[in-house]
Amino acid sequence: MSAWISSHLLTFLVFAPLFWGLIVIAFPERLAPLARLLALLGSTGVFFIALIHLLRASPEYGALFDERIPWFTIVGLPVDYHLAADGLNLWLVLLTTFLTPLTLFGTWNSITKRAGTAAALFLLLEAGMLGALLAQDLLLFYLFWEAMLLPMYFLIGVWGGEDRKYAANKFILYTLAGSLLWLVALLYVASKAGSFAPPLMAQAVQTLPDKVQKTLFLAFALAFAVKIPLFPLHTWLPDAHTEAPTAGSVILAGVLLKLGTYGFIRFAIPMFPSAFIHYAQALAILSVIAIIYGALVAMVQWDIKKLVAYSSVSHMGFVMLGISSMTVIGTQGAMLQMLNHGISTGALFLLVGMLYDRAHTRMIADFGGVASKMPIFTTFFLIVTLSSIGLPLTNGFVGEFLILNGTYIAGFAWGRMIAILATLGIVLGAVYLLWMVKRVFWGPVNTDEDSGTAHLHEDLNAREIAVLVPIVVMIFWMGLHPQTFLASSQAPVEQLLKEAKAPAPRMSVMQVQGVKP
Amino acid sequence: MTGARDLAALLPLAIPAAAACLLPIAALDKDQSAQKWIRGAMFFMAMLALLGSFFYVTQLWSTGHQPVYAQLSMDRLAQFAAIFVLIAAALTVLQLWDHLHQEGWVKGECLALLLTSVSGMMLFTATTHLMLLFIGLELFSIPLYALTATLRTRSEAAEGGMKYFLTGAVASSCFLMGAVLLYGVTGTLDVSEMGIRLSVAKGLDPLALVGAALLLLGFLFKASAAPFHQWTPDAYEGAPHPIAAFMSVATKGVALIALLRIFPGLVAGGDSLLGVKVRMAIALAAVLTMIVGNLTALVQTRIKRMLAYSSISHAGYLLLAFVAGTPQAFTGVLFYLVAYLAMNMGAFGLLTAFGLVGERVTFDHLRGLGWKRPGVSIAATLCLLSLAGIPPTAGFFGKYMIFKELVQTGHVGLTVLAVLASLVSVYYYLRIPVALWLEQPKTSIEREAAELPAVDAPFAGATVLVCGALVLACGFLQTLLVNGFVARVIRDWMGIIR
Repeated sequence: MSAWISSHLLTFLVFAPLFWGLIVIAFPERLAPLARLLALLGSTGVFFIALIHLLRASPEYGALFDERIPWFTIVGLPVDYHLAADGLNLWLVLLTTFLTPLTLFGTWNSITKRAGTAAALFLLLEAGMLGALLAQDLLLFYLFWEAMLLPMYFLIGVWGGEDRKYAANKFILYTLAGSLLWLVALLYVASKAGSFAPPLMAQAVQTLPDKVQKTLFLAFALAFAVKIPLFPLHTWLPDAHTEAPTAGSVILAGVLLKLGTYGFIRFAIPMFPSAFIHYAQALAILSVIAIIYGALVAMVQWDIKKLVAYSSVSHMGFVMLGISSMTVIGTQGAMLQMLNHGISTGALFLLVGMLYDRAHTRMIADFGGVASKMPIFTTFFLIVTLSSIGLPLTNGFVGEFLILNGTYIAGFAWGRMIAILATLGIVLGAVYLLWMVKRVFWGPVNTDEDSGTAHLHEDLNAREIAVLVPIVVMIFWMGLHPQTFLASSQAPVEQLLKEAKAPAPRMSVMQVQGVKP
Repeated sequence: MTGARDLAALLPLAIPAAAACLLPIAALDKDQSAQKWIRGAMFFMAMLALLGSFFYVTQLWSTGHQPVYAQLSMDRLAQFAAIFVLIAAALTVLQLWDHLHQEGWVKGECLALLLTSVSGMMLFTATTHLMLLFIGLELFSIPLYALTATLRTRSEAAEGGMKYFLTGAVASSCFLMGAVLLYGVTGTLDVSEMGIRLSVAKGLDPLALVGAALLLLGFLFKASAAPFHQWTPDAYEGAPHPIAAFMSVATKGVALIALLRIFPGLVAGGDSLLGVKVRMAIALAAVLTMIVGNLTALVQTRIKRMLAYSSISHAGYLLLAFVAGTPQAFTGVLFYLVAYLAMNMGAFGLLTAFGLVGERVTFDHLRGLGWKRPGVSIAATLCLLSLAGIPPTAGFFGKYMIFKELVQTGHVGLTVLAVLASLVSVYYYLRIPVALWLEQPKTSIEREAAELPAVDAPFAGATVLVCGALVLACGFLQTLLVNGFVARVIRDWMGIIR
């Protein structure tokens, strides 16, 4: 078994959660606690197996694991079952396997009805996400991309809040709207290339007229931008987050959104390098709008969860900004920021969920003086908030710094202006998060009987602390020694940008001084 | 070829036809105590006839024997159509047993009519001779008119049957008129011969154009493509659920398979003026069908009307393959039809499995039922997701194959329209899973349901499970189905016409 796993690690990573989930989903409702426990153990096992195997391989050299067999050929197009782990997806895969058991454990008592089914859907979702992250064949990627919608749809729709039906439908329709047009573009390129393998498709794209390339790129970009979500396609996200159960929000923010930006790095840039360079500035401007707009809207939210949801729009804007800078440093920053956002925002959703489980409200006005009632909770919340703001020493700082640095030297016009505007987003981030912290945690205890604070009787229990400690460890690890996470993607990112013929970054300020360009 | 007199070609049709003649005799006995046994025996006999025919055809398939009897040729395409129709009919009979018991209306004529219709469909798909085509068309249509009005005490059943009959009669006469005109122009009734004569003829005879258009109208009507779709929702709503399912699957299926068979003749080589016009007409009908079907389905409150418009929209996707017109697109059509058989029989079967009869066929009546009967509901949900074209179900691969060929032949605009149409369809298909899983039952409906006898529909439930399994199997093992079965049909058939 162990030997089989070593040689088929990626298949195992994708299909173990799938089959485990199918077993767990068959449990009757009275065995829900057992089902939930099995789901937790299964996903923990997957995490450790992924951790051991992926870290043992040395990350500097190309693909760590590669599994490729022809799958099927219908209508004249061969489709390969091709999974690979390399520097670009290594940490995202680990993040996914890390967050799934953590979320299941962290929301242990949040879901009371049909908890076993929810846990099983989680495993199916994990399988879909891992499949999409690892897939190297575009049709395979598409299949996983679509397949992971369904578990999320049902998680939001069945276990969500008041408006869950609306939110779930909006979620699935938005995503499908993007991906169906993308499918047409995919079929177009594939029928030219005669294959779904990205290198062959990239070659076929080169032979197409410039205008067609741009249109095709826009179709790809649309699908990924909906997922990220990039302004102005973000409107499904706040609804989905607000209505989703805590666990759903954590995974949605933690991993699902990353697939959009990952899609850009993995497929859109290598396949359409010139179109990407052409649209890089426009994407950067949209990203900055997302950063500032997301922050401004977050500032006026009354609901903590919605605030975090809009902060997500803002933070994902940073990731996209880093990618569109087309510089190694900016893209590396984006790679790191994807992990940061997964950890920090995921943790914020977890924390908000813990608060909600106790107080049954998420309105900021219902709280006040929580710090005096739940000191341990407040400590964790503050650490995570500061990391989300991007305080030095925490992970958020490193990622945002690299991204801003990359944008500042980006090859397109107005790069510096865009970087400066994006920096404003960090300031605004501090404003809305700290203002929320002030109103919820500090100040006099809200003495109103119906208020949320009045329902807070106990601080975090051992289980919740056990969930949060690894997250805090990760926050500081990534803040203090980001090289751990950046080393593996350095070479692939450099190669990616070299092959894309990215415009040379500008000189740094000091070199430019006195020299007329 | 005309000299061939191989009776093996007739046998698949003859078995259900013979059973159809015998069944009404069994229905004569009115003795109450014997009724139960007679019913059972009738259904058993019908199943036996279908199974017999099925095994006979599969045996022909496996030996590769392609018998010909005069103008009727049981080639691979006809064998495929026969298997398709027989499976649909068998699922229908099983669902009919439960549905008619729920309705309290178990009479013998239903099965006899159904089996006659099955024979007619096999004839319809096994020939290129226009007169035989017409006989087949009438032979399967007339029983369906009667079947639509099975529950004749109900006004909407009579209305649906009448509407279907009147419009159907007009369509059939158009078909006949078209056949006559084409005969007048070319002097032959065999479409493949006709194609050769039309392609060598200089210029385009307007009579041939009118004839082809009228002929096409007959096919589009049976496939319920816009603008000849108006009968569909009313007929489906009035008909018993399984009959509606049978009409949506088998009628559409055989209409398209028969169109496929005469298509090369009709377009006369493809590049002729007539061919271009026919293709344009089909493209127009496909676009209209997708738009009308999907947009109208969005606003339906009753499940059967929604499914009726959905079935219209699927005719649109299928017709797109004729616009592409490549062998691989036709492979896509046949694959799509197999997928469609499974997913639509499953979707209609859900209604019978939950015992929704009469006025109780609304989304509200499905609320919260998913958690009560998870097995059937999961299978039905899979069928609906497949109708919506969400991977990894069969429906996705059906669309994938057709759209890919469409893109490859340069019809990108049409493809974009088609994917947008299927995006719209996701919303209304999801309404059933939403009702099943996401919503709480309404108290008034729960109370009402408590008064009714407990739903017992073992056969219908089983068919839904089978359909759900098929949808997944066709999704995961698409290669087996395509390369081992569907592509062979097209290859052999293309060999024949060449």
